[in-house]
Amino acid sequence: MLYRADFHIHSCLSPCASLEMSPSAIVEQARLAGLNALALSDHNCAFNLPAFDACCRQAGIECLLGMEVTSVEEAHMLCLFDQLDAAMEFGDAIYTSLPEVRNQPERFGDQPIVAEDEEILGFADKYLISASTFDISTLVDMVHALGGLFVPAHIDRAVFGIISQLGFLPEEDFDAVELTPRGDLSLAGRYPVMRNSDSHQLDSVGSGYTEFDLPCLSVAALKEALKSSGNLP
Amino acid sequence: MKISELESEIGFECLQAEYEDAVLSGGYTSDLLSDVMANAEEGSVLVTIQAHKNTVAVASLTGVAAIVFCNNRPVGEEVIDAASQEGIAVFLTGDSQFLATAAIARHLEQ
Repeated sequence: MLYRADFHIHSCLSPCASLEMSPSAIVEQARLAGLNALALSDHNCAFNLPAFDACCRQAGIECLLGMEVTSVEEAHMLCLFDQLDAAMEFGDAIYTSLPEVRNQPERFGDQPIVAEDEEILGFADKYLISASTFDISTLVDMVHALGGLFVPAHIDRAVFGIISQLGFLPEEDFDAVELTPRGDLSLAGRYPVMRNSDSHQLDSVGSGYTEFDLPCLSVAALKEALKSSGNLP
Repeated sequence: MKISELESEIGFECLQAEYEDAVLSGGYTSDLLSDVMANAEEGSVLVTIQAHKNTVAVASLTGVAAIVFCNNRPVGEEVIDAASQEGIAVFLTGDSQFLATAAIARHLEQ
């Protein structure tokens, strides 16, 4: 089956994202944009994944459950799972490792945890733009141990990409690297590439996507496809 | 000022002592490794809180001779192993980057 996938979308939980980005609104917008595979990937937090998973099921859209983790190098890493419990376990470890810095909503934006029907269940207390205590190599091991996919995010960006932080793309067991929709393919080196929207507001959902021909949407199937794709997209 | 004097004169704790002692060419302080890559000089000391093995990789690429990790950041075995392979001296201090840099700068001037 041909999947048109956008695996990097922030919900309202991310303080930098629009409050209109409820899981249900994202799923509806994704359908309008012609996507049939999605991932939610909030900054350093998994609290909106259960609602997102439920909304995707209701809409019949297949999804991965992710997070955009800030490594100790302050580089952004897209971590994608196909099992909710694995994603929540990983999310717990990341959120626990964040420093005890409280969010200041009036300054940084709200971090609401929402249900499938957009009811606000609470707020994430810690400021989610902080960095976790885990370095990139450790994160790769943690994600793989939980059956996930590890993809350094927007490596072509001038800020918070692995190249902007380190000055180079290290040799690691990355499943792919992510480029922005028009990012320079030559930066990817030997790694397979995916492109996503990194949406923080509804109208950009699907503005970046990657097409995958897969038997089903799973981490195993994606790993296989990425391995054989080279860096085509 | 020699590399070994980071310990004997300033009091930083030496975590990786397999290095060839030499006179430091200068120093560079930054937590953004792409900036270190662009601006650090060969034979200098790097002052940073980025205590992970990619810092050693950047030090090795730029010829940085010694690294001082600040704020008592935890330093993993893999960091020490990588630095030992590259012959890069590694030190740890509870000082901030500001204080560590000031201390090194005073000694470099002498």
